[in-house]
Amino acid sequence: MHSRAGGQPLLNTKKKNPHVAFYKRHTEVTLSTNMAKKQRGKTTASSPKKCTEKPTEQFSFMLESSDDEAPEEVTFEDSKVQALRSMNNALETIRRERELQKEKRRKRQELFQEQKKRKLLPADVLDEIDTASSNTHTKVGDEDGEKRPQEVKKKRKKNGIHVNTRNFTGSYKVTTGEDQTAASSFQLQAAQDFITSRLYGPGVCRSTSNQLFSIQNKKGQNKNAAVQFVKKDWASAHKAKAEKLKKRWIHKQKLTSC
Amino acid sequence: MGEFKVHRVRFFDYMPSAISKMAFNFLSERLAVARADGAVEIFKFTDNYFQEKVIPGRDGRAIEGMCWVGQRLFSAGLNGEITEYDLENLRPKYSMDAYGGPIWSISSNSQGTLLAVGCEDGTVKMFEVLEEKIQFQRNLDRQKGRIISLSWHPSGTKIAAGMMDMIRIFDAETGRATHRLLVDRGLGMSKGREVVVWSVIFLSDNTVVSGDSAGKVQMWDSITGTLRKTHLVTKWDVLALSVSQDESSLMAGTSEGTVVQMQFLQSSVEQQERQWVRTRTFKNHSHDVRALVHTDCAVVSGGMDTHLVVLPLLDQVEKSSKEAKLRKITFPHRSLVRCARKAGLLLFQFPDHLELWRLGESEGQGKHGDCLPVKRNPEKLLQLTRKGEDHICCSAVSPCGGWLVYATVSAVRLYRLQYDNNNVSISRVSKLPKELRTVHQLCFSSDSSRLFASSTHSSVVVVALSNPEVKHLHTLKCKSGSKQPLHLLVPSDDGKWLATANADCEIHVYNLHKMKLHCTVPVYSSCPTAIAIHPSTCNLISVHADQQMFEFSLQQKEYTEWSRRLHKEGLHSLWLDRDTPVTRVAFNPENPAHIILHDTFMFCIVDQSLPLPDAQTKFYNQMTLRSLPAAERMRHSHAFKICKYFQHLMTVELLEDHSLVVVERPLMDIMSKLPAPVRQKKFAT
Repeated sequence: MHSRAGGQPLLNTKKKNPHVAFYKRHTEVTLSTNMAKKQRGKTTASSPKKCTEKPTEQFSFMLESSDDEAPEEVTFEDSKVQALRSMNNALETIRRERELQKEKRRKRQELFQEQKKRKLLPADVLDEIDTASSNTHTKVGDEDGEKRPQEVKKKRKKNGIHVNTRNFTGSYKVTTGEDQTAASSFQLQAAQDFITSRLYGPGVCRSTSNQLFSIQNKKGQNKNAAVQFVKKDWASAHKAKAEKLKKRWIHKQKLTSC
Repeated sequence: MGEFKVHRVRFFDYMPSAISKMAFNFLSERLAVARADGAVEIFKFTDNYFQEKVIPGRDGRAIEGMCWVGQRLFSAGLNGEITEYDLENLRPKYSMDAYGGPIWSISSNSQGTLLAVGCEDGTVKMFEVLEEKIQFQRNLDRQKGRIISLSWHPSGTKIAAGMMDMIRIFDAETGRATHRLLVDRGLGMSKGREVVVWSVIFLSDNTVVSGDSAGKVQMWDSITGTLRKTHLVTKWDVLALSVSQDESSLMAGTSEGTVVQMQFLQSSVEQQERQWVRTRTFKNHSHDVRALVHTDCAVVSGGMDTHLVVLPLLDQVEKSSKEAKLRKITFPHRSLVRCARKAGLLLFQFPDHLELWRLGESEGQGKHGDCLPVKRNPEKLLQLTRKGEDHICCSAVSPCGGWLVYATVSAVRLYRLQYDNNNVSISRVSKLPKELRTVHQLCFSSDSSRLFASSTHSSVVVVALSNPEVKHLHTLKCKSGSKQPLHLLVPSDDGKWLATANADCEIHVYNLHKMKLHCTVPVYSSCPTAIAIHPSTCNLISVHADQQMFEFSLQQKEYTEWSRRLHKEGLHSLWLDRDTPVTRVAFNPENPAHIILHDTFMFCIVDQSLPLPDAQTKFYNQMTLRSLPAAERMRHSHAFKICKYFQHLMTVELLEDHSLVVVERPLMDIMSKLPAPVRQKKFAT
């Protein structure tokens, strides 16, 4: 029925359009896909042709109709009931999916906990390590001086080259904190973003260098052609795009003419 | 003048970096300029604004604050570090993390004992300046929001800090915040946006001047904490403020590219009370002005459009003097292009990579002014990206094209190049002598068998290049004991001499056969900008920042007859009026009397056999000479033949096949790649 609306809008657009808009808005909220944003843009444009094209893909599974049939009268109540039903269906599927995911997550959590338990060493071994490690730690601290806070890291990266690393018996080693640089580079990035947003961000009226050249040219003593005509390599990307569009347009014109 | 086939090269995509901060040292009259890529340049104002030193940048060192303490230069940047520079070895001396996140500003008190830095986390941190280092002293009261700008009261007791939406006044002794001055937001659309106080200045009469992102320059009374006056200067941001030393004139740099002057004047003759009045507006920039310095007689501004503009204040200087001219410094005062004369290769140096190009070839003969058809296009042979975070400070290619070397502040890398047909293979020479560690300048001897590298204390390291191994031969040391770095390093074509020039204006000549100092040229007060040794007569030509030129005979160890005559008669005033230094001297092997010089706007052939021009002679007489009959020409011609056809020159070089290479960088190409300027509506455009 909706697929037809695109083809023959004359017959029942008047009646149907409000409904289309109505349930579309709701499904957008619930489904919240990327498509939804596109569609919203189109409904506000309020062209009957466009707004019925996209949703057909999503709702064709629940709204069956054959193409050869003539359009039939649909009352307001009917379509409303149908819309509500489809909405409920969508809600239902989402809820089901969420529950499935919850279940999955729970299972993974359980698995992890079990793995952890398996890995834990027995209590007496732990006690032994505790007494031994307290000795070694003090030794290391003395040797390095109190330059930087040291932290015990799991030997995860085997290929990572740490200059200030120190091997221990077992799978542990002591290394100096290196993630400081990462933090500072993040902060640096944030600070630079602040400057660019204040100087070039939205709300700041900026033009382009092309416009600047144009104004300079217009105000100058001797006027000549715009930069893009004088300099061949200027705005080459734009020119290539324009060329492509032109070709496409010519091609289209040819198609329609024959 | 002689005719040349010219390779007009325009494929060097040199892009200067935006100026982000400046600091002026009033004692030594030197200006430190920080660029967006982290490079720091030192300009000597007493010596014709010559770019004396360049400290190469580093990735991630985004400098946001810079200040001089005595003769020491400190900078702070968004990477959260305070850096002191070693101006003798052209490298950062040390960097210290302030542990407050990105640093937005740094300021020293007038006594030069304390540094204050404003951090992202809202703290103002005080550092004590010690002999060889700085030491953290304490934090002032922590604020919410970043500290964008800082200024000390000249007495050193109070600090004003510009923040988001407000200005805080701190008591420097107790560290308490005493006042909180709220800054208005902009009208209309920008009302929802926080206003950023980009710059503050604390004057000695307890007035705080602030410039903010709403386009206002405001005067506050710091004792009562009240607003005295608001000047709406622009619709965009006021990014920089600077005040003259006597605090009678104030400059504000805006996003529009204008610099607005305000003066502390009496409103009428009878009234004693003075107030800040907006007086003049200058527009010399197309893009945002981010850095400003108010010297005694000029305003120096720099910003996103990468020019450094020195604008004389005409009420402070004499009209006809040399200082009364506007200076625009765009290109570095040293060459970024190296040319392999035998192989016809060009090496372009960028901060983060090198490009090696082979020049094209043309066919046929043409008459004067013709464009020859290109037979083979110029070809990019190699693009070599640097390793590590430090930017490239110097590079060189050997005349035969077989060796390539570049240096950063931390390392030197030497490469061997091999060409077979169209393929270039490059292999790194892994073992270098350990003397090649700190290097400021590099060059190869003309037979490509030696590499010369300038090192600390004006010494030169000589390295022998042979295929399997590279060996350190000798370190040449000057006897003057100068600690300044060398900025020029030129070997002679016959391989016997090596001339060096340093920032102390000394020129030393070494004998490479005996490996010792041959002589020192008498020190001239202005810094040499280009030197070269004549291949046949062994005379040293030196051109200085004040446009003077000398010829020194190495055999007799004295100035030549021509040089004496030149100085007795004096150079033409039009020659002395040029505002860019000569950056290269070359010779014409076919005519030994010819010296080829170039600066940014012209190249010149000095013919030593012709009479020198006197003050009445028409200096630029190429066109008139051409129209004269041949017999008349001799009578009117003089020694300086100037060609201004090629503009914005990066280098001019004579190749072995007697063709001239001219590397241009049109300003329009640079401008088209700059970030967006503000949108301005001009009537009837």
